[in-house]
Amino acid sequence: MAMLKTLAVAGLAIAALAGRAPDAAAGDLILAAAKPGHLYVIDAARRTVRSDFAIADAGDSAATIVPSPDGRRAYVLVNRMESIVGIDLRSGKAVFRADLSSPGERVKDFFAFAVTPDGKELIAYELPTRLLPSEYHVEQPRFAVFRTDAGLKAEPVRSYPAPRRVVMMLMRPSGKSFYALGFDLDEFDVTSGRLVGTRGITRWQLPEHSQPDVLAFWPVTEPSGVFTTPVTSDVTHGGSTVARTGIMTLDVGSGALDFHDFEDTAAIIFSSVMSPDHKTVYGSYTTLTKVDLVTHTLAQRQPLDHTFYAVNIASDGKELYVGGAMCDVAFYDPANLAKRAMIQLPGCGDQSVASLRVIKDH
Amino acid sequence: MSELTPKNRKAELLLKAAAEGHVAEVVAMDTVAGCATTFDPGWEVDPFGGVASLCQPMEADLYGCSDPCWWPAQVPDTMSTYPNWSDGKPSAADDWRELDAVFPKK
Repeated sequence: MAMLKTLAVAGLAIAALAGRAPDAAAGDLILAAAKPGHLYVIDAARRTVRSDFAIADAGDSAATIVPSPDGRRAYVLVNRMESIVGIDLRSGKAVFRADLSSPGERVKDFFAFAVTPDGKELIAYELPTRLLPSEYHVEQPRFAVFRTDAGLKAEPVRSYPAPRRVVMMLMRPSGKSFYALGFDLDEFDVTSGRLVGTRGITRWQLPEHSQPDVLAFWPVTEPSGVFTTPVTSDVTHGGSTVARTGIMTLDVGSGALDFHDFEDTAAIIFSSVMSPDHKTVYGSYTTLTKVDLVTHTLAQRQPLDHTFYAVNIASDGKELYVGGAMCDVAFYDPANLAKRAMIQLPGCGDQSVASLRVIKDH
Repeated sequence: MSELTPKNRKAELLLKAAAEGHVAEVVAMDTVAGCATTFDPGWEVDPFGGVASLCQPMEADLYGCSDPCWWPAQVPDTMSTYPNWSDGKPSAADDWRELDAVFPKK
């Protein structure tokens, strides 16, 4: 059972730089998670940690965060990728828990799960391994579907075979299908598990481009409805080869998938987010990168105080948030990439590979 | 595979199995969920041959590697093999003195 600790607005590990954000979207909440298994709700406008929920039996880890479509719950991958817990964002109570492993079968979910638009079902990517006395037997990966009203001992109501190497799932707004992103981009029917289609990522057919490298397990589509991720590849042209960085964009509504290079690779970018007007992508790692999607050029790059894996943006596009890796969340101006504020999460546990998500306050 | 040269007996057996169509029998080589099978250098040198593009500071990246079994040769894997390695040490930057080296169990 989760423990609720509501924090007073003034104080408790809030860094001195924090202050009210004049431009932040009113009503935006940031969801972050950190060791040893805490979920944090941050009031973006006030730049304060509103709630600190300690997730029971989290196994010293919290990774992917997927908010429910109504913004009232957050589902968090915990327990070293073996459990998904749904936390009520008002009470802090665990209202859903699926422990994926069972005696004799260890199941890991490598970052990937999604919730249907009606909020009624959660689909988890399962990598099962049968633990035999003298060997591990690798079993067929699968998608397991849970009802979100199943409580704290949720069992799958159906499952179907899945490909290997999936690292992220994105639900489509229709609720009829979802994307599974890994070495390629597959689309599956929610009800039947039928493979609807496959588009190449490692097997893309871009002239002059080598097989690309993609690191994508931050499932951010807010606020634009478009998932974006950096893509690097070697481009051979006129007898010379250079490493190029591009941006992959996937509109989960229309299904439009595009790749555009924007620079000779000059910096590493882990995750990215698109502005609400679809004109800009921001990427984060040890630098903050701004990419002009109209001209497909590098607009600006700014060093960060330290490495931040995860980036997100206010729903009105007027503030950038960076998190992940260490224990702070920083606020930046999207116009000039100037730092506005930084807050430290209570307890200062590392966020590691946890998501950074933005939802509307209710 | 022709670009790789086996360096030990296990590697030779793997090549032989692949050549004879018995890859399924060595599928356990692919068992690890998430453990990076890459040979990319990660903790020593960045993609540009320097160190400026490694995570800064390195503690920022420590649990980002141990949690998803990334570069398990360099960082203990807390996902499966050493699950309690970082227990009670939530901040790598503050707690790094408490993080011990690990050794295979006998």
